[in-house]
Amino acid sequence: MTARQKIANAMVAVALAAAAVWLFTAVFQALGRQTDWNKAWEYRETLWRGWQTTVGISLAALIGSLIFGALFLLGQRSPLPVVRWSCRAFLEFVRDTPLLVHLLFGYFVIFAPLMSRSLSAYGLNDKLVISILLLSVFEGAYLGEILRGGLESIPKTQWESARAVGFSPFQIYRYVIIPQTLRRVLPAMAGLFVSLIKDSSLLNVIGVTEYFYNTKNFISRSYAGLEGYIPLAVGYLLLTLPLAWLSHRLERHFRHET
Amino acid sequence: MKLEVTGLTKCYGKTQALKELSLQIESARIVALIGPSGGGKSTLLRVLGGLETPDKGSIAVNAHALPRTPRELQAYRRRNGFLFQQFNLFPHLTALKNITLPLEKVHGYSAGRAIKIAEETLARFGLGDHQYKLPAQLSGGQQQRAAIARAVAHQPELLFLDEPTSALDPEMTAEVLELIQELALAGQDIIFSTHEMGFAKEVANQIGFVADGKIEELASATDLFSDTASPTCRRFLSKVMRY
Repeated sequence: MTARQKIANAMVAVALAAAAVWLFTAVFQALGRQTDWNKAWEYRETLWRGWQTTVGISLAALIGSLIFGALFLLGQRSPLPVVRWSCRAFLEFVRDTPLLVHLLFGYFVIFAPLMSRSLSAYGLNDKLVISILLLSVFEGAYLGEILRGGLESIPKTQWESARAVGFSPFQIYRYVIIPQTLRRVLPAMAGLFVSLIKDSSLLNVIGVTEYFYNTKNFISRSYAGLEGYIPLAVGYLLLTLPLAWLSHRLERHFRHET
Repeated sequence: MKLEVTGLTKCYGKTQALKELSLQIESARIVALIGPSGGGKSTLLRVLGGLETPDKGSIAVNAHALPRTPRELQAYRRRNGFLFQQFNLFPHLTALKNITLPLEKVHGYSAGRAIKIAEETLARFGLGDHQYKLPAQLSGGQQQRAAIARAVAHQPELLFLDEPTSALDPEMTAEVLELIQELALAGQDIIFSTHEMGFAKEVANQIGFVADGKIEELASATDLFSDTASPTCRRFLSKVMRY
């Protein structure tokens, strides 16, 4: 940085800090007197249960999206054109329509009429199962694209060298292509899982009692303001920040190899 | 080695890389292929090395017909070694691991024996201090030497080198050529393509001039340079030897 840039940098820093302080004081002056943290404390169990549900759904959908992502990847690399094209069309459809629509349509129109009764008969919470399925398909579609991009970015010379060394087709994937692909896509995958956690908040529209749903209920019942929204944001940050940190770390770590 | 190639044709889409190429070598240890870029040197090497299957023609290496099925070709590739211009090494593995992985997984060596061989080979090629480095941490010449170490670690019958120094600067070229010469002196059978005429002349027993998908001329190293028969080859040599 030149001396002028340093001065400009310091001035912008001061201005931003001042703006932030002004915003916070303005908000707290307007709402501060009505903020009653006891309300949040009273609802702590509901909020805690909702947060646990969010964690559970996210973890299950994470695994589910890995499975669907792998399937979409294989589908797109299938030697049969009809499989390739159906896969492409489905992925395009999934990625070009809002998740909210998937959830409403997928739950109320497709899966609830088909599966709810049998799921309940097995003693399963149909909303949880279906929402995990829908979320897995949606994020799996993105993951499939990330994996495909990663796989296709491995230079042709790597396949050639692996073949020349005498590896079998399976060994080429196992020892050469997959390790390199994973290194390339891990940062993007960690980023996608951050989105998955945030997207799980949309499940409230089909009545899944996850963190957002329970917090919204608490807010509307107790007329809470900041004491509702601050824990809501913090609850999600607790899950997403470590992942985001991991994503950046992986990115830096693997950059040195190429 | 003994090579018998007749009527070899290979097309990529509409381009004919090899056109009814024929080649007979009764016995030679080191064979060099020279000729203009795009003339078919690489394709010929790739077919001989079992990386491509020909469209037409018959090939016998050391009196054995070259296999056609993927499984047999894989077994054939395992017996030999192949080196490309560049990017031979696997970038996510250290130099040592690049050598031990094929030894273990392809040739079935124990981990201990694979490490011992890899260490010895790297040391022999002057890379003893670099065995734990990733390819990106090595110079181009070191990468190529490590790749040669990998190609010869399992003592291949034949070693194929496809323009092994074309991507290197003169200094690195020299260090890699020295190593190839050392392998040749140690008795390794080698077929290589190159633009280094002096090197081909010094090391090879037989030199083939490949142009336009055919062997235009095949002769011993001294004959090819002093007593060139084909006019295309003479023109090529006079051009590349001018400076």
